[in-house]
Amino acid sequence: MKETEGFKEAHERMRPGHITAQGFLGADGRPLADIVARDEGEFRRLGLTFEGVAAELRRLRDEGRRGLGEPITVGGAVVTVGDARGLLPCPWDDGTFHKDSVAVERGGTRIVYSDLSIHMLERHHFCQGEGSAFRLDPGALKRVVG
Amino acid sequence: MNPYLLGPLVVSGITAFLALLIALTDRVVNDYGTVVIDINKGKKRFEVKGGAPLLGTLASQKIFVPSACGGRGSCGACKCRVTSEVGPVLPTELPYLSKEELADGTRLACQIKLKKDIAIEVPEELFSVKRFEAAVSSIRDLTYDIKEVTYALEDPNEIEFIPGQYVQIVVPPYGDLDEEVQRAYSMSSKPGDRNKVELLIRLVPGGIATTWVHKHLKQGQKARLVGPFGEFRVHDTPATMLCVAGGSGMAPFWSMLRHMEAENAHPDKDVWYFFGARGLKDMFYLDELRALEKRMPRFHFVPALSEPAPEDNWTGETGLVTDVLDRFIKERIPKEKGFEGYLCGSPGMINACIAVMTKNGVAEKDIFFDKFA
Repeated sequence: MKETEGFKEAHERMRPGHITAQGFLGADGRPLADIVARDEGEFRRLGLTFEGVAAELRRLRDEGRRGLGEPITVGGAVVTVGDARGLLPCPWDDGTFHKDSVAVERGGTRIVYSDLSIHMLERHHFCQGEGSAFRLDPGALKRVVG
Repeated sequence: MNPYLLGPLVVSGITAFLALLIALTDRVVNDYGTVVIDINKGKKRFEVKGGAPLLGTLASQKIFVPSACGGRGSCGACKCRVTSEVGPVLPTELPYLSKEELADGTRLACQIKLKKDIAIEVPEELFSVKRFEAAVSSIRDLTYDIKEVTYALEDPNEIEFIPGQYVQIVVPPYGDLDEEVQRAYSMSSKPGDRNKVELLIRLVPGGIATTWVHKHLKQGQKARLVGPFGEFRVHDTPATMLCVAGGSGMAPFWSMLRHMEAENAHPDKDVWYFFGARGLKDMFYLDELRALEKRMPRFHFVPALSEPAPEDNWTGETGLVTDVLDRFIKERIPKEKGFEGYLCGSPGMINACIAVMTKNGVAEKDIFFDKFA
């Protein structure tokens, strides 16, 4: 995939210290377009769709909110929804999102995401870099929501 | 001269000249000289060097406006009212300001660059906020994801605060974090213990401060705290307190309750404390609170588990804490003195509790909370 100017700018804003202190890339040194292309391939291989996964992540978040900040069981998964102060802009500069963190654990696999993670996954097919605390690894997504 | 050296030397010379030119231009164009910050109509007045953001400049004058993101403009906490002309609101500020705040001149202190004299208004309580040098005197696991951290204050070595207030811990650079950031935590220690600050800190996935505390902070390590902040406190009325928390939301109530016992504070108030958790492994201070209940007859502790495991052998209340609260207000708690709500937790938890309380006749103006977000 070609690294467009928009991708280059977003990639820059994903580095530590721009939008969040730890950034969105983890230890991943690949170009952003390569990260996205690789995860798109994994989604296809696993039979996942970005829209379908995003909808399921939203549903788990909404159901998990009934736990009022404490862990709660939602259809066999343990979901904890926490909140932090403030808003985060998307690195692609197309919206701001409440700083929350949703942890979902099912069968020994755990994923952590925020409203911004769902947006980046759905709109930009970006699962975050390898090693990012909020990376939505396609394999883990398949096990948790697939 | 060697022609192979001439080219690089010329290029280096031109580059050095341009760099010097840029530095000189920056000095002239961006030299804002001395500017005056007037706070609360002359209550405090500072002459400072212009050019830096208001938030950091105020901190350099020992006026600490709360901030959770270290001046990145991503938390919206450092609000202050600007009463002089300071330029248009920046796009980075807009998501955090309501229509009313925009109309009355509220701005984010981290986004205002000091280019000329400025007049601002901040809560007077901020004048008593201090920066404390401290050392970690103990770290104790309360659950698998909540630690009780105690700081011994060194300089200054005493803090005055009201139970319910919070401090900000200063997290030094570590890992990918290349500058210090601050995060807010309610104090769980009681005001009588003036030489220490105790905090309850829950590990949040990807959280900068909580990861620092849980994975890196060690006993004996030097640390820095800023505070006290906040208006969450016990109100001096005879109304019965309905307190609700879960997880590290325990902190302000643990401070309030121990203060009430130690000082016989607010002697006319009855207190009902609802603490929600999923299972017994998420519960803590259970023995301490039950012991306090025996020593202080006006205090009633109602722990509730939403999904107790069989091995928990739980005989207490079960269900979501909001359902238990609803049941107790309807069936168990005397209503003669009226009610006040006290809440500490996530926005979702607070909104759910407010809904239950107002449905049961508690006036919204009598519900006080410390929202995590």
